[in-house]
Amino acid sequence: MKEMIVRGLQQAYENMVHMIAEFLPRFVVMFIIMAVGWLVALLLKQLLRAVLHLTKLDRISEESGASQVLRKAALPTISELLSRAFFWVIWAAFTLVGISVLGIPVLHEQISRLFQLLPQVFIAILILFVGVLVANFLSRAALLSAVNAGYRSPRLWSGLVRFVIWILAVTMALEQIGLAKETVIAAFSIFFGAAMLALAVAFGLGGRDLARQVLERRLGDDRKQENEKEEEPSPL
Amino acid sequence: MVGILAASERQSGVQETTVETSLAEETFLDDDFLRQLMSVGEVDLLVGIPSHNNAKTIGQTVVTIEESFQQNFVRDRVVIVNVDGGSRDGTSDVVLNTPSPRSQNPRGLTTLRTLHRITTRYANQPSPGAAFRAILTAADLLRAKACAIILPEITNFSAARVKSLLQPAYRENFDFVAPLYSRPKHDGLLARNVLYPMGRAVFGQRIREFNSGELGFSGRLASHCLNLDVWHEESVRTSPEAWMAVTAISSGFRSCQSFLGPKVHSASSSGSDIVTAVREAVGTLFWCLESQQSFWTGRTGSEPVPTFGPEHELTLEPVRVNRKRIFDLFLSGAAGLSDVLRSILTPETQAEIQRIATEDDRKFRYGNDLWVRTLYEFAASYHHATIDRDHLIQALVPLYRGRIYSFLQEHHDSSAEDIEAHSENLCLEFERQKPYLVERWSAK
Repeated sequence: MKEMIVRGLQQAYENMVHMIAEFLPRFVVMFIIMAVGWLVALLLKQLLRAVLHLTKLDRISEESGASQVLRKAALPTISELLSRAFFWVIWAAFTLVGISVLGIPVLHEQISRLFQLLPQVFIAILILFVGVLVANFLSRAALLSAVNAGYRSPRLWSGLVRFVIWILAVTMALEQIGLAKETVIAAFSIFFGAAMLALAVAFGLGGRDLARQVLERRLGDDRKQENEKEEEPSPL
Repeated sequence: MVGILAASERQSGVQETTVETSLAEETFLDDDFLRQLMSVGEVDLLVGIPSHNNAKTIGQTVVTIEESFQQNFVRDRVVIVNVDGGSRDGTSDVVLNTPSPRSQNPRGLTTLRTLHRITTRYANQPSPGAAFRAILTAADLLRAKACAIILPEITNFSAARVKSLLQPAYRENFDFVAPLYSRPKHDGLLARNVLYPMGRAVFGQRIREFNSGELGFSGRLASHCLNLDVWHEESVRTSPEAWMAVTAISSGFRSCQSFLGPKVHSASSSGSDIVTAVREAVGTLFWCLESQQSFWTGRTGSEPVPTFGPEHELTLEPVRVNRKRIFDLFLSGAAGLSDVLRSILTPETQAEIQRIATEDDRKFRYGNDLWVRTLYEFAASYHHATIDRDHLIQALVPLYRGRIYSFLQEHHDSSAEDIEAHSENLCLEFERQKPYLVERWSAK
């Protein structure tokens, strides 16, 4: 009996030593891969930062107003942000490769799924960035046009433009990573359709006079145009 | 740029073909236009008329220009070049088919030369820059000594007006002839409050009308401008006249001003819409600051330029203005654009603008000091591209409205002399604060 217990313990010990002997090198390899990945990611981050600096992305971001949004959110410049995102994506890729070396079957399956998702995540992030740039540019253009034309509630128009483009960008980004694809598209369609219907109804019921004015202006009631011009002295 | 054959050389058909091929290769003009130019040969004077659906008025414009040729330039070789931007009302036919006037000069002489008219379609859509370039190219090919641009919308002008634009370049050896006008006192406020004082302070020459569609220039200046690689620039495409004025100053050409009489606004001109006018005129001025910075940053003060005829005249005829609307647009702009203005102006200037926006409309004043500071900070932000440049210029519109409201309040009953004195003070303020512009311009 005693002998059996000792043998069992001995067997368990040998198994454990065997497992450790088998696992430890893999663990070391994983760390080496992660360390190398960290260095490679750092290098690529610096390279991307230099390339983005050459393309003057920060200036474009500044001009479009996206930098302002980033500053408000206490985020760095857009080139810095992209460089950092790139660093993390690369390092995450190396880390996943490292983890897969451990040879745990369940992890292996999950990792291969994550690998397939990584490029899509990066593209989704890019879509969001471009969405922020476009939304800021167009909302500011709408704000300036509305202010200079003397429309009421110019910020509302500007905010509406920004909101619609953000929604569009978020929808596209979520679709890119395949997250609840049908739900997102259906939600967007319902939201967009409802917004347009609301606008149409509001304009039709509440803005008949405005619609008439706009149509008269567009269809060339010259006398009215002349009267409007006389409201401000000729600048040149 | 290739020159055109002299009349004597054109007897040989072989030579003509060779030059035609060469011209066609080196210019953007179409073959038919080149043939017309070659049939004219070299000229002394060229008057360009950019047109777009001006069939109703352009006939009278052509007649008046030819009257001027017959009365003032009897012995000189002359041509009228109509460049059309896709008219559908037969404008070009009117140019070619309107009968020439039969007038004599004061000494009873009739013209000794053929009065040439040529016409071309440079594009299917009007573009001031493309039209201007076509006229300059024609002037260069024809080796014109002096040129003028006359707008076809303006009908009630005299033959003397054409002479006033051509004579200084042709007889007095000037290269750029800016027009001077008689205006109602509340007319041309963008020119009076921005373009003239700022252009004068920055570029150092007192040219009042930087941005007029009518102007005169020498063949030398035309060739110089033609060879500059700027024709793709938006500012040159929209306001080529202002760009030419600045180019003339910065390249050391001789500039002068010539009085033309009353300023006439055409119904179709963009000058009647404040937003478009500010975007085009101020956009071009700022772009010129950017492109000529090596010229102006070290300069101080300003010099008068020779003037033919009376100095700028102001008339006191009333202009219908809706002041309340102008002030309301300023207030809504100052409030609505506060975030945008924050990225353009310094906190002090923005705070000052917000402060005056709270004042009672009867006491409201947008003073010279603040106005100059505002414009210089806008110019510096344009240089640093703190936001999209077109957006930046549009953000100036409400502030400009505030300034003109202040001007209209202040000068409701002022005499022409008072307004002139006020303009001079504004010019001096721009010159006094120029170091501030340079400082902000150079700031990292």
